[in-house]
Amino acid sequence: MSDPVLQLRNLTKTVGRRNIVDDLTFDIPAGEVFGFLGPNGAGKTTTIRMIVGLISMSRGEALIKGVSVRHHFELAMTHVGAIVENPEMYKFLTGYQNLVHFARRHEGVTKTRIDEVVALLGLQNRIHEKVKRYSLGMRQRLGVAQAILHRPSLLILDEPTNGLDPAGIRELRDYLRKLTKEEGISVIVSSHLLSEMELMCDRVAIIQAGKLVDIRSLQETRDSAQSKIVIETGDLPAAQRLLASAFDPSLLTISGIGQLELAADKSAVPHIARLLVSAEIDVLGIHAVQKSLEEQFLEITGGEMVV
Amino acid sequence: MSSLGKLIRNENMKIYRRPRTWLMIAFLVLAIGLMSGLMKWDAGSDDHADWQQRLSQQNAQLQQELQDNEKLDADEKTDIGNRIKLNAYYLDHDIDPNELSLWNYVNTSASLTILVTILTVIIAADMIAAEFSWGTIKLLLVGPASRSKIMLSKYIATMGFALLLLLLSFAAAFGAGGILEGFGGLSRPELTIAANGAIRESSMIADALQKYGFAVISLLMYVTMAFMISAAFRSSSMAIAFSLLFMLIGNSLSALLSGYGWVKYLLFSNIDLTQYLAGASPLRPDMTLSFSILMLAAYYVVFQFVAWLLFTKRDVAA
Repeated sequence: MSDPVLQLRNLTKTVGRRNIVDDLTFDIPAGEVFGFLGPNGAGKTTTIRMIVGLISMSRGEALIKGVSVRHHFELAMTHVGAIVENPEMYKFLTGYQNLVHFARRHEGVTKTRIDEVVALLGLQNRIHEKVKRYSLGMRQRLGVAQAILHRPSLLILDEPTNGLDPAGIRELRDYLRKLTKEEGISVIVSSHLLSEMELMCDRVAIIQAGKLVDIRSLQETRDSAQSKIVIETGDLPAAQRLLASAFDPSLLTISGIGQLELAADKSAVPHIARLLVSAEIDVLGIHAVQKSLEEQFLEITGGEMVV
Repeated sequence: MSSLGKLIRNENMKIYRRPRTWLMIAFLVLAIGLMSGLMKWDAGSDDHADWQQRLSQQNAQLQQELQDNEKLDADEKTDIGNRIKLNAYYLDHDIDPNELSLWNYVNTSASLTILVTILTVIIAADMIAAEFSWGTIKLLLVGPASRSKIMLSKYIATMGFALLLLLLSFAAAFGAGGILEGFGGLSRPELTIAANGAIRESSMIADALQKYGFAVISLLMYVTMAFMISAAFRSSSMAIAFSLLFMLIGNSLSALLSGYGWVKYLLFSNIDLTQYLAGASPLRPDMTLSFSILMLAAYYVVFQFVAWLLFTKRDVAA
């Protein structure tokens, strides 16, 4: 693994007596789309805003490419492009003037680079119009353009899909994929929408009540997903008694009217079918299902995930 | 890392790309044009042809009063004596004291710097609060520029706007005066009587610049106060409202409460330094020029420090 693009060291935010973000320590590897996942109010936004200096850190440290945000803010920020929620632009300026505004803050962003980014995001037709006439989707694109002008190594997106319609979300996702591929940017994105993260991220950190619960690769999670077998039957008590004697009773749950669930592999289906038929219990259906990511994360966070 | 110069250009772009700013500038120029027109119209209603005769008459009357009225005290006597001397000087040098020169227009425009102050206060109050209102503060702060640097660039841009308005009002009054009275009166002196009774010729431009100078001091204080208020509020309309409120009621408040000793510590009691010029009396007898300058300097430092604290230490969470 290459050098981490972001390192968090005991990052803590205390408001009153409560730790909104509590002692986060982990590294985010370069070249990935990394997600912060957690229910509303888990501290994702606070964490991200501490990383970009919008909120002060109570304790701990964030290092971007090894540069301390706390001690060398200006230098650390040269590596970062950010979109915090819906990017609000200066509505009385044109899209182009907005980009000039953000380009001036960095050294070495040329006119050619601005044009290049405008083209990359497909904004060239309306870039000289005032931003107040832009749709939300176009503003979002302009926000992305603003964030990548200076070729940052790290792009930070805080709840970027708030207020976007499904088409807009899809569009943003496509741009992000294009950016990671074409510009080699690492991306950190926060969201409370699992379905969205599932499509975007390589790896996610699950945060709950300000604490890190787990970091996992989505690919591995998918592969290791446990499966279960759902049995529909006409005689639930008899079926339950029979299966409890044949399998470990703790793997067996009643999941609906006349429906049993058994945590087991697909290969167990024939065995279960034979057992039930030989005991003359009516079988209405037997099928194997994989646990969805959603269910797995709900398990991890104790059912608190907002999806 | 961002250079301060480029940040100032950004702030300037945000000021001058708004139609509101150009309305303000047009309003100021219009006000000065209107004032000049009124002055010309007002002066035109008098007849100046026999000004020498009138001055002689006036002097004769003053002389008479000096002789007849025995209740006059020493001060009043010197005052009348001075007026006679001044009138005689006008007659000797063939100067019509009531004839307008372009300097009269420039001088009067100095009293319109209150307008410059109000307009700059509006811009200053908007400077930081508007970024919060627009929601652009997040993108503005997430960049390779420290908050102190961003604040400094905003302050400098605001002061640049004030300077522009001042130059503009000076130039507009100068232009209007020149058009209405001709540029011939440029060298006309300002006549005053010194304490020893001698007549002193001083240049009109120095007089006008002095008036502007005093106005700039109060402008600087009010604008810096508005800038601090701007850092405190998240809504630009609130920041503008409070800044203008303080500015407009401050002076009358000081005058109203001038009976109390502590009033001398208020900003508004010290902001007008013309109260220490000859012929004027300060708000409270125990106030001196150096006291006021010290108070203004202290207020200035406090305003800047509070604004800096509010802007750099605040969490942007909303």
